[in-house]
Amino acid sequence: MDNAFVPMPAVVEDVITETPTIKTFVLSPERPISFRAGQFMQLGIPGLGEAPFTPSSSPFVPERMEITILRTGSVTNALHTLAPGAVVGLRGPFGRGYPVDHFEGREVLVVGGGVGLAPLRALLFWLFHEIDRVKRVSIKYGSREPAELCFRRLHEEWGRLPKVDFTCTIDRPAPGWDGRVGLVTTLLDGLDVDVKEAVVVSCGPEVMLKFVTLKLCDLGFPPEHIFLSMNRNMSCGMGLCGRCNVGPFYLCKDGPDMCYADIKDIPYALG
Amino acid sequence: MLFLGKTRLPLLLSRLAAEYELFAPVPSGDSHRMARSVPGLDPVFPPFRLSSSLRAFWLQPARVLATWSARGPAPGPEPKPRAIIGAKACDLRALEVLDKVLRGQDFVEPAYAAARDRHFIVSGDCTEAAATCFCTLVEGAPWPERGFDLNLSPAGEGFLVEAGSGKGDRFLLAQKDLLDEAPATLVAERDRRRAQVREQVDRQNEMVRPRSPYLQSVGKHLKTRLWGELAATCVECSACNYNCPTCYCFLLHETRDAGEVKRISVQDSCFHAGYSRMAGGGTPRLQLTERFKNHYFHKFVWFRETFGITACTGCGRCVEACMGKIDKRKCLRDLETRWIPTEVVQEL
Ligand SMILES: Cc1cc2nc3c(=O)[nH]c(=O)nc-3n(C[C@H](O)[C@H](O)[C@H](O)COP(=O)(O)OP(=O)(O)OC[C@H]3O[C@@H](n4cnc5c(N)ncnc54)[C@H](O)[C@@H]3O)c2cc1C
Ligand code: SF4
Ligand code: SF4
Ligand code: FES
Repeated sequence: MDNAFVPMPAVVEDVITETPTIKTFVLSPERPISFRAGQFMQLGIPGLGEAPFTPSSSPFVPERMEITILRTGSVTNALHTLAPGAVVGLRGPFGRGYPVDHFEGREVLVVGGGVGLAPLRALLFWLFHEIDRVKRVSIKYGSREPAELCFRRLHEEWGRLPKVDFTCTIDRPAPGWDGRVGLVTTLLDGLDVDVKEAVVVSCGPEVMLKFVTLKLCDLGFPPEHIFLSMNRNMSCGMGLCGRCNVGPFYLCKDGPDMCYADIKDIPYALG
Repeated sequence: MLFLGKTRLPLLLSRLAAEYELFAPVPSGDSHRMARSVPGLDPVFPPFRLSSSLRAFWLQPARVLATWSARGPAPGPEPKPRAIIGAKACDLRALEVLDKVLRGQDFVEPAYAAARDRHFIVSGDCTEAAATCFCTLVEGAPWPERGFDLNLSPAGEGFLVEAGSGKGDRFLLAQKDLLDEAPATLVAERDRRRAQVREQVDRQNEMVRPRSPYLQSVGKHLKTRLWGELAATCVECSACNYNCPTCYCFLLHETRDAGEVKRISVQDSCFHAGYSRMAGGGTPRLQLTERFKNHYFHKFVWFRETFGITACTGCGRCVEACMGKIDKRKCLRDLETRWIPTEVVQEL
């Protein structure tokens, strides 16, 4: 049996600066890596350490993987110094991925905050590709400030796709910004979706997830239709090291995207 | 059933030593510890489990899970197979728990799996119980029923010998000259001795004997405040986890030396505040009571629901080791008997 702790080498083909703190790394792995939207990888610099990330690229393109990373600590700082040509290590894919069969024929509300739009992008690729299978895709995205809007280069393109709409907001007014201002939860006011039937997928900082979830519940979305990306502390990524548990679940193997109905009664499930 | 006379034991062990590196209990203070054994030595069989668990044989506190360089994965030298003498029933139960997680799922922990395959286990019946033993409260018994390669049950002037695996069978087959067919009287004696020790364990735990399964008595406390009281003297030392034969949590760490990278797993404990710390600094189980509760829920509720067995063998090592003098058996009893519905805490 292959040792799943040995990474596969991947060459950094390109580095795209998305915001002052977020970069997208375009990787070409030694062998194609097939993954389902929402599954994640362990990406590392050999000898330095690794961290979990969900690819932000299309699950239909296994030979080239993009990973979009916020600089926030030891591993991510080191990754941000990499230039094209560098060799990194990849392990995975891990986790279950989004329950896309559950999205069939429904409106899909995608709620992202900050770098949380990166993991959601793999799902967006899937949704855009399979758009006939869903009723509609409505993207709600928020960031602290205009400079920190991730994938700004793509927003307009997404909004123009058939059956897709895109709205974004920033937390506080900023010079030169004439778009919406307010926390991402304000984008959930006056929603034109069928709350009993639609499904919601959300990814972002823990506090955002918590308030988005509270608001969705207030609006009447059934917990069974809310899927949250629980991007917590992980180490092995495959259900062995024990550290990612939320109640009986191991987020690396049972998630990282969890149905809110399954975790709502577990104390501190949302931080 | 086969019988091995006491005087023939050293010979049997020296034959084992021809194939395996032998580890056996040796006296240490008023207890015993495992040590590399020289062939021909007459081993001591401690009456009950050792104070330290056997976990380090298969889960070293720091172990290399993978080594690779630019040239790809580097296979390490093949370590010599080992035979461990003197494991007890609870030590074997712990292996069932570890096996479920570390080599029973989609992904396998390679160092553990290799270590498991490499060990030949000779277990023995307990002839007495330690004061903290409570195996019979968690569906166990003080004698091994499975999970061993060979089991030795004291009877008459020697042992009844049983093989519990293909490896054990093959070894016994080659020892025919040392073994005799056991008379029924010896089997009856073994059963009598076993019942006596079981009775001792039951008797010493009379006051904490549960009336309902721990799954239920612990499970109903997901949101109650009793935990604060139970954890009042806990000093967060993690001795309970580090001494527990079923605890397996680890954290990965890497080193790089002359182009060779090693991925090392380091033993970890869910009692540490930083255990669930996330990027950005947030820690979901910042409060000690949440971590204390997590330890009990993991062992008695969630593990059982997920893997079908309780992740506690009743070995009592956590009770013996606790700096805060917390007795797990008493906590479990309190969780069963002290149920105050108005204490339920509400939060998101
Ligand atoms: C499934 C999943 C998908 C993710 N996808 C993305 C993504 O697409 N893009 C993205 O930008 N981020 C993503 N993240 C978050 C990303 O993994 C973290 O930002 C990253 O792990 C930070 O690593 P670091 O070394 O830079 O941070 P550090 O803060 O240095 O943390 C490194 C590790 O050590 C631990 N640690 C640090 N200090 C301590 C301490 N004092 N005590 C105990 N533990 C400590 C942390 O909890 C962390 O596990 C994802 C996370 C998960 C779980
Ligand atoms: S929890 Fe305590 S009694 Fe149970 S197996 Fe671990 S150390 Fe032994
Ligand atoms: S051994 Fe006792 S004091 Fe130490 S962490 Fe465990 S319960 Fe707390
Ligand atoms: S990250 Fe190791 S068990 Fe989930």
